[in-house]
Amino acid sequence: MKQPNPPYWADRFLRWYCNPRFLEEIEGDIYELFDRRAEKKGHKTARIKFIWDVLRFFRWSNIKKSNSNYSTMNSGLLFKNYLKLGLRNIRKNFVSSSINIFGLAIAIGFAITTFIFADMQLNMDTFHTNRDRIYQLTNFVDQDGDDKRWSDSPILLGPQLLADHPGVEAVSRVEYRSASVRFNADVFDELATFVDPSYMEIFDFPLLNGNKQVLYDKSQIVISREMAIKYFDDEDPMGKDLSFKFLNGKIMRFTVGAVMDEFPFNNSMRDEFYISIENFFDLQFQDKYTWSFLTDGTFILMKEGENIESIASSYPEYIELQHGSNPEWNIRSFEPIPLPELSQRGYEIVGSVSGGGHPAGRIALAVIACFLLGMACFNFMNISVVSATKRLKEIALRKVMGGQRRQIINQFLVENTLQCLFALMFGILLAYFLFIPGFDALVPQMDLQLRASSAMAMFLFFVSLLIGVGLISGAYPAFYISKFEPVTIFKGTQKLGSKNLFSKIMLGIQFFLAIITIVACLVMVDQSFYLASKDWGYDPSGSLSVYVNSEEQYEKLRNEIIASPDVQTFTASSNLIGRGVALRAMEYDGRQIRVRNYGVREGYFETFRLRLKEGRFLTDQAADQESAVVVNEKFVKEMGWTDDPINKTFVYDSLRRTIVGVVEDYHYYDFYSGIDAVIIEGLKTSNVRYLSMRTSSDKVFELDMFTKEAWQKIAPNDPYDRVFQEDVFDDFYIENTANIKILIVVSIIAIVLACLGLYGLLSFNIQGKLKEFSVRKVLGAAPRTLAQIAGKQYMWIILISFVAGAPLGFLGMDQLMNSIFIDVKGVSILPFAIAIVLLSITMIITVAGQVRKAIEINPAEVLRSE
Amino acid sequence: MKGTNLGELEELILLTVGSLFDEAYGVAVMDELRERTGRDLNISAAHAVLRRLEEKNLLSSRMGGSTNERGGRRKRLFTLTKAGKKALDHTIAIRTSLYNRIPDLTYNFSV
Repeated sequence: MKQPNPPYWADRFLRWYCNPRFLEEIEGDIYELFDRRAEKKGHKTARIKFIWDVLRFFRWSNIKKSNSNYSTMNSGLLFKNYLKLGLRNIRKNFVSSSINIFGLAIAIGFAITTFIFADMQLNMDTFHTNRDRIYQLTNFVDQDGDDKRWSDSPILLGPQLLADHPGVEAVSRVEYRSASVRFNADVFDELATFVDPSYMEIFDFPLLNGNKQVLYDKSQIVISREMAIKYFDDEDPMGKDLSFKFLNGKIMRFTVGAVMDEFPFNNSMRDEFYISIENFFDLQFQDKYTWSFLTDGTFILMKEGENIESIASSYPEYIELQHGSNPEWNIRSFEPIPLPELSQRGYEIVGSVSGGGHPAGRIALAVIACFLLGMACFNFMNISVVSATKRLKEIALRKVMGGQRRQIINQFLVENTLQCLFALMFGILLAYFLFIPGFDALVPQMDLQLRASSAMAMFLFFVSLLIGVGLISGAYPAFYISKFEPVTIFKGTQKLGSKNLFSKIMLGIQFFLAIITIVACLVMVDQSFYLASKDWGYDPSGSLSVYVNSEEQYEKLRNEIIASPDVQTFTASSNLIGRGVALRAMEYDGRQIRVRNYGVREGYFETFRLRLKEGRFLTDQAADQESAVVVNEKFVKEMGWTDDPINKTFVYDSLRRTIVGVVEDYHYYDFYSGIDAVIIEGLKTSNVRYLSMRTSSDKVFELDMFTKEAWQKIAPNDPYDRVFQEDVFDDFYIENTANIKILIVVSIIAIVLACLGLYGLLSFNIQGKLKEFSVRKVLGAAPRTLAQIAGKQYMWIILISFVAGAPLGFLGMDQLMNSIFIDVKGVSILPFAIAIVLLSITMIITVAGQVRKAIEINPAEVLRSE
Repeated sequence: MKGTNLGELEELILLTVGSLFDEAYGVAVMDELRERTGRDLNISAAHAVLRRLEEKNLLSSRMGGSTNERGGRRKRLFTLTKAGKKALDHTIAIRTSLYNRIPDLTYNFSV
């Protein structure tokens, strides 16, 4: 009969945890019980009871606490010894250690930069003490099937909420208006922010002077520190008067009642002038403010302990009120967004009050940082394993002298963590002096510095970085090397290094990550270059526009500038390319078509060099100004016309239009948004807003000086607001160039890391094979053969990792780009070719350098020692 | 002194060890206790108490010989020390003296 056995794993568990001093008696007793039960109650019950017993014995007094008294006695001493040895080893293997430390430091520096960047973005607006009770009430609007979340909300919504819900402590609306602000002789264009007086109490912007209640006096305003310096220099701004001229021509004077301190770095709402909203109503941009008027944003402060959901019951009522007032703008539903999430979700909200970019960039950076760290860790692992092979005798001796495996493991962990510590310190220095300032310079308006939302978060990040990297990169070498038997080491039969499959796999993974990173970066760089060199569809160079307030001002300025010989052509228009025209819906053939529409005078097409495809440009003749329009190719396509569009007619804005010309598509906004259908019509006198001129591109600045003088003569009270058309898309170009630079830096880091790894491994490998090479040399092998032998295996590794990594890198990047850009450049072979060539060249250089060492050495030197 | 006082289970196990004389090891103690008092202990509890009593120097232990039972594992055999015997005497003396002080009146339930 089969002897019944207790469950094996339970017994193993017991042996694992049990203090060996007690193991025998405990095991004996429960085995005895098991046998007895198996006989009486059957095998199954006995097994279950056995497990139960094992679990019951799992108590503090039975658990083994330390292996032996011996190790606790002198572990302090040993630890000191490890540290000393670690330092000596770093000094002794200076090259490989510094490769290790340097590689890790680069990756750590990059990780720190990413951390600070992400930390800043994730902790936006957390300095407001009421942050958990502040919400912005956004709403969804379905506009011709285009369902979007809007920041703009009915201006009456706020007060209504406050009246209806006792749980709401305060509300504040936010309304932006441009104004020319004047103090003595200085006039600047600024953005004024109208808010409810409670705004300063809801939010906690630090104040330098004044108190949070100043806005309750509607003649007082709050200005930022920057503005105080801009307008008043060193003078005390408090009590000074600023006059604001708004776009409807009305002028208001306000007294500075409070000055805000410098904004905290994680502030997303950088408004410069806060004015009580009462003044906005006084300005009478409209006769009456109903539910149909949309203000730029509505903020709610809930009372302590009140749930924001409590206001949801009123949504249907508000929606109805709004629909009744403006049936064309249909709010579908409301949704409150908590303040701390506002900036991160800014990209979801149309007209977001707080900035905040698309999270794609943040995620991409984090992924890249992980990749680089991973590469550095593999690099570290590899080099540690191979460098430890030099110390096999030391390990064997330690073991013979009574060192336990755990102590050897500890030793290597301590040494590796020591190197990681150096790397961390070096990495912090790199981040502080190189990466963060570099990043800051590349990404304008970011104000990135070595700081975190809390010192604790930063400290924890550093510690977890140290421990994480130290363990990941140190654990394998420690466990691997400590396993060897002293006897095999002393006999010299321990197999190591050169034929080690593990280190090859490690190198492969390293290259795999490097190739993903490089290909991804290069694909992105390719796209950025493509965008940078992309045609705008018109010629922005040499064109200069000035904002005018009226037809009258336009006439005056035109008469002045005609005198300048530099002006080649000039024109008037209602809008400027790159400066706001809303998309409007028009109906044609039962379909909705979204178009941009603005008015121009004769000369517009020449001034901006729009390219005519068919027909003719608009002229100033009455017939042209009345109903003739020029459209772009996109418009023709949207209308679905396949035959000649010239002289076709359609109704827009309740007027029948006739197409006289078609221009090539051009970009109205930057390349992040696509090309829209455009209707260019004649300019009504009341809509004259810009005077645009063209000159040769080297004369632009002279013309600017000339125009400025003329302007000051004819309109001394209005700011001189001129636009170089080339500058309109500056932000786009700056961002694009920044992207290119960051990506190139990342690629270089990836290549450097991969090559450091290759170099480290190869140098050890060659050292191990010196004898083989020497014998081959003695027998007459050519240097080329030696190089082939040394390099061939690595060539395979690179090839395999390339085949695996390149498509992954490309796919990942393709996804990302399609989510950011409208216009994505197709796949080209170039990024892949560059990646493989770059890696191959660096590999060949590394291999060649190492092989030369082997070739130059005197075979006698090596072989003599046998 | 608090340390020398015996808990109830400790006292029972001490008594059991004494009564088993030379055959007192974990399972035997557990069995005996169940037989005499009806208390169902887990073997781990028996071990814990035995070890605690040994730490208090009330029991001493030695490893027994190896037999064919229990897969050849030895038993830890416990014997009462002098201190253990004394502690037992002490507790029983206290109990008896307290018991004897109960006036007969107490039993006079019929009143």
